[in-house]
Amino acid sequence: MPIIAYQNVLQGLTVQEAMRRQIISLDREAPLEQAVRFCIKYKVNALLITGKNQEALGVVSKTDLMGAFYAGLPSDSACGGVMVGPPLFCLPEETLDAALDTMRRHRVHRLYVRGEDGRTVGVLAYPDIVGILYRYCINCRKSLRLKEGSETLEDNFRVREVMTPEIHANRKDDSLQQVMETLAAYRFGAVLIRDRDGEAVGVVSKTDLILAYKHGVPTEAPARAVMNSPVQAVDASHDLVDALRTMIFADVHRLFVYQDAPGNLVGILSLSDVARFRSGTCRACLVSRIKI
Amino acid sequence: MGLTARDVMDTRFHTLKPEDTVADAVRAIQEASRETGQTVFGMMVTDAGGNLLGMLSIYDIFLLLRPKHIHIWGEMEDLEVSGVLEAACRRAKGMLVGDIMTTQVVTITPETHLLLIIDIMIKRHIRRLPVLEHGKIVGMVYFSRVFNHLRDLLSA
Repeated sequence: MPIIAYQNVLQGLTVQEAMRRQIISLDREAPLEQAVRFCIKYKVNALLITGKNQEALGVVSKTDLMGAFYAGLPSDSACGGVMVGPPLFCLPEETLDAALDTMRRHRVHRLYVRGEDGRTVGVLAYPDIVGILYRYCINCRKSLRLKEGSETLEDNFRVREVMTPEIHANRKDDSLQQVMETLAAYRFGAVLIRDRDGEAVGVVSKTDLILAYKHGVPTEAPARAVMNSPVQAVDASHDLVDALRTMIFADVHRLFVYQDAPGNLVGILSLSDVARFRSGTCRACLVSRIKI
Repeated sequence: MGLTARDVMDTRFHTLKPEDTVADAVRAIQEASRETGQTVFGMMVTDAGGNLLGMLSIYDIFLLLRPKHIHIWGEMEDLEVSGVLEAACRRAKGMLVGDIMTTQVVTITPETHLLLIIDIMIKRHIRRLPVLEHGKIVGMVYFSRVFNHLRDLLSA
């Protein structure tokens, strides 16, 4: 059946078409405090750690930095001490499918790209693939983006059809330590913070936590000391395009979703899910089987 | 004609503190530009004792403005986003200089030769170099001042 050939829009696309050439790296001797600064400054979730001859030794992610904070490591400790190594590599001419498969098997969201001479020439993160996928799927004749009977994008998907109906929360008086435990247990990037009456009052993300680490905030400090308010949220009955606009305005890649009233949070919406649905990526695509 | 950093450095330099916000920094940059009569694109960051901690450049501020997932937004040509730049600026204004400054700063001394300064500027893509004497800041050498110093030699 030739139809199988159509089932994957990524077919034929290679890593070098989606990868980023700017690699944010740090020497293994660099302090963790600098790694935090680089994550904030370059808006990346992970840094490549290199040795004396610029050779790639490992990776320090926001999760690793959060782990160092949790473990009470001084923020002037060397990156080499907490890095996870060696980094996972793919090749520039490898297909995106193969790269995604590697990501899925190793449960990571990024691969570094190794050039012919053995040097690191790029980095491929999952959102890079979502971006390129958007371009292809929106033009794909198998695209699901137009529901039956609808003519335009405007009357397409609603937030509630795309969200994940699952919320993890801490109380505002819980310690940062407890917040980090929640984040680690559910592999989420952010935790909702509620007050004593259960009302949602803020969000603590990994970025907030590593910044607290850099600023010397103790892990016993309450969540309310570092949380972001108000909660960025969107109505479940709204169009995806509203959610997208809210995300780009707040520069976040996740929103909480409420139903009926702003206080009634029922789920979480991720940018990669929105992008996939909006472009009409079919479940047939390998890419739709990995979660960010 | 002088040959070293001492001869081209600007001794009227301005500095920022790590606890300054981006809004404070931009105001200071505007002020410095007015005073010196040329656009200032970067400033030194010092501690209370006047020791050099890092540099903040306009590029560092641009990095803050760029949305994290620009490579996804970039594909969505059909998305109407008027006002997004204002929102990005609002968010950036409150960030702290100490959290985004560059700390790997190349410095020179008043005795550094002009050709060596040019070499550093080419190799490291740097347009401004703090001048330190016995660990204390004494001036700044700008790309433009080096060029102005050599202008007559190059054209006459």
